[in-house]
Amino acid sequence: MKKTIAAAVALAIGAGIIGAGAGLAAGTADELITARQAEMKANMAAMKAMVSMLKGETPYDAAAVKAAAKSMADAQAEGVAKGVWDAATQTGATVKTGAKPEIWSNAAGFDAAWKTFDTAVAAIAATPDEASFKAAFPAVGAACKGCHETFRAAE
Amino acid sequence: MRRRARALATISVLAVAGLALAWGMSTPHPLTAAELPAHTPDVANGKLLFNAAGCLSCHKPDAALAGSDASLPSGGSPFKTPLGTFYPPNLTPDPATGIGSWTDLDFVNAVQRGISPEGQNLIPAFPYTSYARMKTSDVLDIKAYLDSLPPVVSAEKQAEIPLPWLIRRGVGLWKHIGFDTAQWTPDDKQTADWNLGAYIANGAGHCNECHTPRNALMVFDWNRQFAGGPHPGGEGKVPSLRDLVGRGKYSDAADLASALQNGEMMGYEHLSSGGMGEVQTNLSKLPGNYVQALADYIASLK
Ligand code: HEC
Ligand code: HEC
Ligand code: HEC
Repeated sequence: MKKTIAAAVALAIGAGIIGAGAGLAAGTADELITARQAEMKANMAAMKAMVSMLKGETPYDAAAVKAAAKSMADAQAEGVAKGVWDAATQTGATVKTGAKPEIWSNAAGFDAAWKTFDTAVAAIAATPDEASFKAAFPAVGAACKGCHETFRAAE
Repeated sequence: MRRRARALATISVLAVAGLALAWGMSTPHPLTAAELPAHTPDVANGKLLFNAAGCLSCHKPDAALAGSDASLPSGGSPFKTPLGTFYPPNLTPDPATGIGSWTDLDFVNAVQRGISPEGQNLIPAFPYTSYARMKTSDVLDIKAYLDSLPPVVSAEKQAEIPLPWLIRRGVGLWKHIGFDTAQWTPDDKQTADWNLGAYIANGAGHCNECHTPRNALMVFDWNRQFAGGPHPGGEGKVPSLRDLVGRGKYSDAADLASALQNGEMMGYEHLSSGGMGEVQTNLSKLPGNYVQALADYIASLK
C-alpha cells in the first residue's frame, strides 16, 4: 500500500500539477470542475475518518489511517491524470467553482501547496502507531487549510 | 438678467457654504486626554485582545522581506481592498518608524476613532468601526502589550489609493452616517458568558465587518446583522452566521466552539477562504472559555 501511495505522490510531483493539464485534459470544464470537487469531497471524507480517530470517537486503527491517506493520494493522482486543474477550467459553463485565479497566476505557489500536502500525506501514511499518527496529523490539516486560504474562494 | 445674476449669486453662496460645511463635517473630531479612563495597563489582557482583534493578520511583516520575525506586527505586508492596496504600518515600539513615540491618546484615537496623530481620517479597511465598541481600557492594554514587544525598524509604505486626501476627507463625511462610536453595552437579561461572547464578536473580533451586510452607503444594515452578504474585500460571498445549529452546519454550540478553535485543521469546512482562515488562526490563540463564549453567542443568533 505504501508503494501505491509513493507512486501516486511521485506521479503528482513528476507530472507537475498544472503542466499535466495542458495536454491531458479530458472532458469539458464543467466535468473537470465536478471531478476535482469530487476529489476534494473524498479528501474531506478521509479527513473526517482521521479526525474521528484523533478525537477517540472511533478507535485508532493503523490500517484505517493508511486507507485514508491512500484515498487522499489517489484522489489527487486521479485529478492530475484527468487534468482537473487545467487553465481552461477557471470558470465553468453551469457548474460553480471555488477555484481562485491565483491557481494559474501563481502556479508555482499552487504546486508548492500540493507538495506540502503530498509530504504530509506520505508522512501520515508511514506512521506505525497512534502516537506518531497524532503527531503527524496537524501537518495534514494545515495543508488543507493553507491551500484553501490562498487558492480557494469563499462561496 | 438681474434675476439670473441673483440666482447665480445664491448658488455661489450655497456652494461655498456647502463646501465649508463639507470641510467642517469632514474634519476629524478626536477624543481629548480628559476622556481617557485612569487605567493600570494589563499586558496579558492586551495580548489576548491583540489576538482576538487579529492585529497581526493585517500588520504582519512583508513575507518577501528576508529575516523578518513573522510573529511581530512590524507592518508592510500588502493588504488589498477594492479601493487599492494598503501596507498597514509598523505597530512595534520603534520610535521613528513604529508607534514608540505615540501617546495613549494618539493610539486610542487611531484605534477607536480612525484618526491618525497627524489628524487625518484613516480608511475603515482598518476596522476601527468595530474596535470603537471596545472598552477603552482594553485598547490601552493592547498598547501596553505592543510597547512590550521588541522594536523593529520598518518604514511606512504609502498606500496605493487614488486621490488619498480626497478619500480621507470623504471618510470624514461618511463617519457622520456610518460610524457609531458607542461602546458595547452588556445585556442584563443574558448570562455573563453570552455577554463575553457578544463583546468579543462585536468589538475586538470585528465579525460584523465581513458577516453583516451594508447598504449602498456602506453603512451596516443592523436589521440583517450577521446575515452574510458580499465580501467587503470584493471576493465572493460571506456566509450567514444566523441559526448555524438549526441549519445543521454545527451539531451544537460546543461543536461550533471546536470549529472556531480548530478550523479546517480538524476537518471543519468553510473556515479558510476569504480571510476567515486568519481570523480562525487568531481565535485558536484565545483561552478556551473565550472561544466557548463566542460560540455560545454566535449559536444564539437566530
Ligand atoms: C493545493 C490546494 C488544495 C489542497 C492541498 C486541498 N484543497 Fe480542498 N480545495 C482546493 C480548491 C482550489 C478547491 C475549490 C475547487 C472548485 O470548487 O473547483 C477546494 C475545495 C474543497 C472542498 C469543497 C468541494 C466541493 O464540494 O465543492 C472540500 C470539502 C475540500 N476542498 C476539502 C479539502 C481537504 C479536507 C483537504 C486536505 C485533506 C484539502 N481540501 C486539500 C484546493 C486544495
Ligand atoms: C483588516 C485589516 C486590519 C486589522 C485587523 C487591523 N488593522 Fe490597523 N490598519 C489597517 C490599515 C489598512 C491601516 C491604514 C489605514 C489608512 O492608511 O488609512 C491601519 C492603520 C493602523 C494604525 C494607524 C497607523 C498610523 O500610522 O496612522 C494603527 C495605530 C493601527 N492600524 C493599529 C491596529 C491595531 C492595534 C489593531 C488590532 C487591534 C489593528 N490595527 C488591526 C488594517 C488593519
Ligand atoms: C475578513 C472577513 C471575515 C471576518 C472578519 C470574519 N469572518 Fe467568518 N467567514 C468569512 C468568510 C469569507 C467565510 C467563508 C469561508 C469559507 O468558505 O472557507 C467565513 C465563515 C465563517 C464561519 C463558517 C460558517 C458556515 O457556514 O459554516 C463561521 C462560524 C464564522 N465565519 C465565524 C466568524 C466569527 C465568529 C468571526 C469573528 C470572530 C468571523 N467569522 C469574522 C469572513 C470573515
